[in-house]
Amino acid sequence: MAYLTLSGISKQFSDSYVVKDFSLEIEKGEFVSFLGPSGCGKTTTLRMVAGFESPTTGNITLDGVDITDSPPNKRNVGMIFQSYALFPNMTVAQNVAFGLRVRRETASNIKQRVEEMISLIHLEEHAHKFPYQLSGGQQRRVSLARALAIQPHVLLLDEPLSALDAKIRVSLRSEIRAIQRKLGITAIFVTHDQEEALSISDRIVVMNAGLIEQVGTPFEVYNFPQTQFVANFVGSLNNAAAEVLDPARGLLNLDGIQLITASDIQSKKKGDKVRISVRPERFSFADVQRKDNVLDCTIENITFLGSVVRIQVKIGNTKFNMDTFNNPFLELPKIGDREQVSCSKEAVLVLDE
Amino acid sequence: MTVSSNSMPGASEKKAPSRSSRFWAWLIFILSAAYFLVPLGATFYWSLKAEKDILGFEAYKRLFADSNFLPAFSQSVVNAAAAIFLSLLIIVPTAYWVTLRLPKLRPVVEFITLLPFVIPAVVLVFGLIRLYSRPPLLWTATYESSRVLLICVYAALSFPYMFRSVDNGLRAIDVRSLTEAAQSLGANWVTILFRVIFPNLRVALLSGALLTFAIVIGELTIALYMAQHTLGPYMADLTRSKVYEPSAMAIVSFSVTWMAMGVIQLITGGQGQATGGH
Repeated sequence: MAYLTLSGISKQFSDSYVVKDFSLEIEKGEFVSFLGPSGCGKTTTLRMVAGFESPTTGNITLDGVDITDSPPNKRNVGMIFQSYALFPNMTVAQNVAFGLRVRRETASNIKQRVEEMISLIHLEEHAHKFPYQLSGGQQRRVSLARALAIQPHVLLLDEPLSALDAKIRVSLRSEIRAIQRKLGITAIFVTHDQEEALSISDRIVVMNAGLIEQVGTPFEVYNFPQTQFVANFVGSLNNAAAEVLDPARGLLNLDGIQLITASDIQSKKKGDKVRISVRPERFSFADVQRKDNVLDCTIENITFLGSVVRIQVKIGNTKFNMDTFNNPFLELPKIGDREQVSCSKEAVLVLDE
Repeated sequence: MTVSSNSMPGASEKKAPSRSSRFWAWLIFILSAAYFLVPLGATFYWSLKAEKDILGFEAYKRLFADSNFLPAFSQSVVNAAAAIFLSLLIIVPTAYWVTLRLPKLRPVVEFITLLPFVIPAVVLVFGLIRLYSRPPLLWTATYESSRVLLICVYAALSFPYMFRSVDNGLRAIDVRSLTEAAQSLGANWVTILFRVIFPNLRVALLSGALLTFAIVIGELTIALYMAQHTLGPYMADLTRSKVYEPSAMAIVSFSVTWMAMGVIQLITGGQGQATGGH
């Protein structure tokens, strides 16, 4: 049995569902992200695990115990808030000690545990400072230490990296992941940033409008999106309208150009309209002879993005972006050139709406 | 126009409007300071003239020698302290709960706390006497029970100030997140209130308490009609019978209030809520 189980969770506010029929099993030590746009119900789900909201229907069990109706202060769940939520009247050490004091641990235990936690987040020199004397990144780390000090069953992180600048965000992200691995703690991470979710998680739960769209490893979610929403939300994507030519062989017609797809379109009929999706990095100029799809195109635009060069090509009447890695010896085509691009049949996705 | 010497050459054209607005700002400041300080100074000067032809603290000596002064004074201080305690006990949890769980009720609660402003003290005291001087609520029977009633009334009178201070204090901190953070760390409501909310409202609570103190120390009407020997009635009595002592009395009660403000500055370090003052 899974360590944390959410079964059939729904949350209704007046007559609208914020979360609907959410079921998920999380193993001990797993790092799971809830990914979705704002208002998709990811934070509400997290708050139901924390006990700040109670589900309208469904059950939550943690380590074999049903915690659906237990109050937040009895769940032993650590939470990191979007706002830092550090106690402004207490020093770093006092903040970290708070949960232990509440539990009436002995003074020597508290002292030892606080020292342990503060060295874990490398803030030894700041232990006696107040939150307002720390930077945003340091405050995040204190809230992490405070949540971990009580040795929670589950660590919940509600967009913990928002409102930080890009560099700190990336370094703190790997720090959180490293600490989570080191302690083997089960964690749920809520974010709307797909890059964050892809880089930090064991598994990602992609949510939209209160429903789970897909659950999978970052690799699966990115490479094998099951729905149009997931494909569009995670990573960037080219979309185009096409027509089915031969369902059995996976042949499609895009503005009079024939394409082959590896997606299962057996259920479609000849002449059905479908939407195809192709990731920009799946196109290439190279290996034209070995690929399934070789397409004539015109170069429309070239954008230099640093590590990547994004080239807009026009295939038939549709514009596609293709990404190619930058290197100093890259020979780029010129705008208006006629070229051929290729992609494999696996790159051409036909997804459910 | 001494300020003109400070302005940088070359910037004079830009500074010109600010210089004249600064002049008006100063003028208004000086006038309002005078409005406040001249009567105070005159009162102080008058209080020093108790002895013929020399300035001295004779009036103060007589005041403190008066056997009625210190009991009246200490009674008022105790009343104020009790009223502050009672008011805090009612207002802080109310304001906290309204902020956290019932934000829609805020206008209603705000209106209720404003009621003491709407009802004149004379009306209030006669209403109280009518209500509490017959069974089952016979509170005016003895001096002590009247005093308890008076403290309750003072607590109610402090609501407009106390609620606003506490409400401002609560808005300045992220009450919801702090509460939830404390809850997820295992704290119960009592712990949250006393360890998290109260300490972060220190400045707000102190300013609410100070205002309450100032009201109670000088309050006359209600205390008079409820036959309480507090500072207000004592002062009124003094005005009728003595010449210099009332002025000395005014200075003393003023100093007490100012000292209270000084104490607050000391405790909070003048830095607001963030420091925690450790």
